[in-house]
Amino acid sequence: MYLRTPIDRVLFSPSNPQFSRTQKVSFRVNSKLNNNVIEISESKSFYELLGIQETVSLLEIKQAYKQLARKYHPDVSPPGRVEENTQRFIRVQEAYETLSDPKSRDMYDKHMSKGLHFAFSPRRKCQNDESMENTGEWKNRWHSQLSELKRRNSHKDSGNNMSWGAHMRRQRSETSL
Amino acid sequence: MAEQAYTVVSDSETTGEEKTSSSFPEIAIGIDIGTSQCSVAVWSGSQVELVRNTRNRKLMKSYVTFKDEVPAGGVSDELAHEYDMLSGAAIFNMKRLIGRVDTDPVVHASKSLPFLVETLNIGVRPFIAALVNNMWRSTTPEEVLAIFLVELRAMAEVKLKRPVRNVVLTVPVSFSRFQLTRIERACAMAGLHVLRLMPEPTAVALLYAQQQQQSGHENMGSGSEKIALIFNMGAGYCDVAITATAGGVSQIKALAGSTVGGEDLLQNLMHHLLPNMDDLFSSHGIEEIKRMGLLRVATQNAIHLLSFDESVPIDVDLGNGTKLSKVLTRTELEEVNKEVFEKCEALIKRCLQAAKLEAEDVHDVIIVGGCSYVPKVRNIVMSICKRQELYSGMNPLEAAVRGAALEGAVASGISDPFGNLDLLTIQATPLSIGIQADGGDFVPVIHQNTTTPVRKEQIFTTVHDDQAEALILVYEGDEKAAEHNHLLGYFKIRGIPPAQKGVPEISVCMDIDASNVLRVFAGVIVHGTQRAPMPFMEVRMPTVDDGHGWSAQALHKMYGSTLDLVTVKKIQHRDC
Repeated sequence: MYLRTPIDRVLFSPSNPQFSRTQKVSFRVNSKLNNNVIEISESKSFYELLGIQETVSLLEIKQAYKQLARKYHPDVSPPGRVEENTQRFIRVQEAYETLSDPKSRDMYDKHMSKGLHFAFSPRRKCQNDESMENTGEWKNRWHSQLSELKRRNSHKDSGNNMSWGAHMRRQRSETSL
Repeated sequence: MAEQAYTVVSDSETTGEEKTSSSFPEIAIGIDIGTSQCSVAVWSGSQVELVRNTRNRKLMKSYVTFKDEVPAGGVSDELAHEYDMLSGAAIFNMKRLIGRVDTDPVVHASKSLPFLVETLNIGVRPFIAALVNNMWRSTTPEEVLAIFLVELRAMAEVKLKRPVRNVVLTVPVSFSRFQLTRIERACAMAGLHVLRLMPEPTAVALLYAQQQQQSGHENMGSGSEKIALIFNMGAGYCDVAITATAGGVSQIKALAGSTVGGEDLLQNLMHHLLPNMDDLFSSHGIEEIKRMGLLRVATQNAIHLLSFDESVPIDVDLGNGTKLSKVLTRTELEEVNKEVFEKCEALIKRCLQAAKLEAEDVHDVIIVGGCSYVPKVRNIVMSICKRQELYSGMNPLEAAVRGAALEGAVASGISDPFGNLDLLTIQATPLSIGIQADGGDFVPVIHQNTTTPVRKEQIFTTVHDDQAEALILVYEGDEKAAEHNHLLGYFKIRGIPPAQKGVPEISVCMDIDASNVLRVFAGVIVHGTQRAPMPFMEVRMPTVDDGHGWSAQALHKMYGSTLDLVTVKKIQHRDC
């Protein structure tokens, strides 16, 4: 009777309320968008997202995460990049959460070793629920979210969702010009 | 409404000012409004400094006296507090009452305060009033806090010689989002713009992060991680946080909080000293208020002394032939407050468990807040965390406000040439957020202790065949039954295409941004070429106003289970 697994998944922060309204159709429309998306790290593994080797220790994962948090967390982002960085931060967070837990890291590594890299065609996922379940649905979802992200990124950041710090920094950089 | 009177600043006025003097951005000040005391701090350009009042005090009593037409707070005139308390004109403890309805046990426990707290048990805000010229003058927690904030703001403006508009406020971990909106309302009434509402122990965590960065050479750049457990217990609330700190980044791993604090120690001890206290004071006449005030002051002093002495004599004449004269021991205090201490223990354990850590994993144990001086509290924290020493680098009464001031500087985009502000707090959600489904159950969409900003989605389906509408009741909390959590808001999804029950897919997606704004999106997912019947609803939460207990009950009465949703069952073999 039940249709589909509702695993928690990370989508991306609505850069702009007007886009979030189109949110609902995300994985439907994605297939159309796939052919002409902007390249933004869509084929990166979690390791690549964190900029680390697959053999690194937990300590190094944590260090990489904190470093990237300092770079991408919206509170410390330079003006004009808050939206983009919030999305990056959420992705980095997802990667970190997966890799910092030994069990989920192990599971993830197994997926990787089976050749289920991220560089697969997202077209495969959408209309086939059964294969989604069998090939690690979360990864497919993940990919669809990246597509969504790319779509959003093609729109200019409106600035209405900026952190205060970002506002201030932007204001300052504008006045200093 | 009376509320309007305190709206001091018009937007155009300040924004104009900011534009003309924007060579340097305004640094947000940090404010810690405690249940009993409050303080203000600001980044001075090289360090955090606490702002002192005209009496050269850094900590001020959080209370407001209603006399004649003009209410006055305790920022400038703290000495009058004890006298005003005996006359019924002083209102305090508002942080305990803000955003609560009259069915809340915390509100009921506040009836022994020396002013009027009236409840009807119908899920609306309680009737709170001060006795002014023998007449009850009603007020609200928001109004009291606003009056107080206006004074704090004026004090800060005089000291800093500039207008103050932006603030970072510390709040208890256990505050619901509804309560946070009440705090924001109080700030707006005082002409203040809230940059961040920071859970108190996370402000302490930020201060810790800065101290670690400044002190440890081994930490510089290498990013070796230190785990700290922060225990904060004030008059009104008890909070625990666990933070992982490296290189100035404080990552909140887990939070736990509860409405338990020094006020409970006080009330339990008052009941112990005067078992029939509630009956004696129930009429709230001027004499009763005076007696209640006298007992309160005497008990408060005894608790303070018992932090240093094993026993203390109590001698208080409550008038009307009631005299209290006895020696109170520390053991007695601890005995009558057994439950309070047990709650503290449970919070620490819960927080460790949520962070998936053992006591041995914690490097530093930090204890702050007014109750940190109570020997039993220190013992509990040390014994659960299995250590002989507590972190000693902080003033327990100033740590939270200092952290708030740091966050104020960081969030205002200030940088420090010496790297003292190269700091970042990665926050986590103190409570789960979800909807009512599967009957009366609470189904979380964003779980407790999830790192923010975040976005999560969960799929639901219908309960009845051809169900065309669904009611999305958004709750916050961690109780299994939805109704025991805080209702944040509700809206309907319409136009679900006719189908057997369990077939339609209804997506509920929740998003928390860096400013802690919660948005809920919900709608029907359609497949293939079908057109969506209705656009997704996108609602910023919370939407409910006062009387949210009432709304929930009314909704249930009206709609019963006709508009229910159920969670779609999770598929077990996710890893194949």
